[in-house]
Amino acid sequence: MENDTLIVRVQETVAEALQVPIRQVAPNLAFGGIKEWDSMGHMGVMMLLEERFGISIDAEIIAALTSVPAICEYIQKTRKD
Amino acid sequence: MSAQLHITPRVTIPDFLVGEVQSKLAYVDESIVRAHVASTGDRITLDLREQAEDPKRSELEEKVQRVVTSMVQGAFKPKVQILENYLDRPVPSSADPNPELLARGEMFQEAAGIFTVGPLVTRLISFFERQFIALADSFGAAPYRFPTLIPAKSLERVGYFRAFPHSLSFVTHLREDLDAIDNFAQHAACDEHGLNTPVDSFAKIQALLSPAVCYHLYFALADKPLPGGKLAATAVGNCFRYESVNLASLERLWNFTMREVIFVGPKDFVLQNRETGRERMRGFFEEIGLAYRVESANDPFFIGEFKKQAAFQSAFQLKFEIRAALPFKQSTLAVGSYNYHQDFFGRSLNITLPDGSPAHTGCIAFGLERMAFAFLSQYGLDAANWPDAARKFVA
Repeated sequence: MENDTLIVRVQETVAEALQVPIRQVAPNLAFGGIKEWDSMGHMGVMMLLEERFGISIDAEIIAALTSVPAICEYIQKTRKD
Repeated sequence: MSAQLHITPRVTIPDFLVGEVQSKLAYVDESIVRAHVASTGDRITLDLREQAEDPKRSELEEKVQRVVTSMVQGAFKPKVQILENYLDRPVPSSADPNPELLARGEMFQEAAGIFTVGPLVTRLISFFERQFIALADSFGAAPYRFPTLIPAKSLERVGYFRAFPHSLSFVTHLREDLDAIDNFAQHAACDEHGLNTPVDSFAKIQALLSPAVCYHLYFALADKPLPGGKLAATAVGNCFRYESVNLASLERLWNFTMREVIFVGPKDFVLQNRETGRERMRGFFEEIGLAYRVESANDPFFIGEFKKQAAFQSAFQLKFEIRAALPFKQSTLAVGSYNYHQDFFGRSLNITLPDGSPAHTGCIAFGLERMAFAFLSQYGLDAANWPDAARKFVA
């Protein structure tokens, strides 16, 4: 998957999980950057990422995936592995 | 006539969720007097007040399956982190303290989850209180006194109803209506189910019994800049968490007492003080020879919120419990906790730092009755066998 495409897909997933328009999810958006990305929102993002990208996110990783770039990096790394 | 109902869950309950699911099953239906989940997670046994026939039986099964599915599907396995482990510390007693507490009049049950404690236990609690106040003083914590009631509006503002609906305790009073008050005065009586008064005699609920101490401080600081940019405070108060059939002895009370040391300010201030507090308490626990462990934990969120909130707490290491050994049942009991709420209360209640950002909060909390109960489980009721500091204090 091209990097740009991945970023857009992650933005779409984050927006859907947080129930906000995609324009609010900037490519560098991080946890706490908008009020919807709070603790509950974050876990919604994690669950939808698992579903949409077919990846497994364990508790060790949840605290690290706190921005769109960090999520993209993790998905790319997971797919290479 | 009591009866049992065995249910095979549609999804197997993983070991890390067996206890959580079991505790939530108590809230499924009023007919349940005890719920047990097999350690293998593939069998649930409900003890019922009476035999359940269809459609009641099917309704119970469906509700149980709903709880299990909601909590298990997509659950994140928590990251268990142990910060201190002194569970193997030798302690002199392995006897259940409950019979002796009752026999000596040191514990008296008024109703389920409502207990009075006697002079020895009271003095022992004062001993622990002295230590917890010393901990607060070491941070220069300002003393506060908070009410037992807490406004419904305030709890709504921090999402408490969504997170912990099952454990709420509501407060009301008779409506300002002469007929309702007269009727109550003449006819109020208790039967085996409680007060017989019609529900419409009572006013709408505006207040609840407080479930925690630190919330009151956050409400007092709401909607304004935090004076001085940081604050350490301390208070002791009655707390109320209804735990249905899980209520048991001094281990799990409906009405209990909590001492908290509370921090409000920048992230580093809160986290550093939480850690410093833990180190200071380790010295005290060593002095009294307490067998305990400090490990990551989560709050008992209700079913709908559990999966996400518990995983979030675990992932971000927001809560660590002090779990003291109960040798008589080869288990542990949470007697305190070290908590960090990030900027949840700062955002929810608009408590701001000098730079305009939301304040972070955290607290160190001790359950006083549980602390005493765990100590008595490890040392017994004969003060002659207690560590010096405790023995001298109660003498």
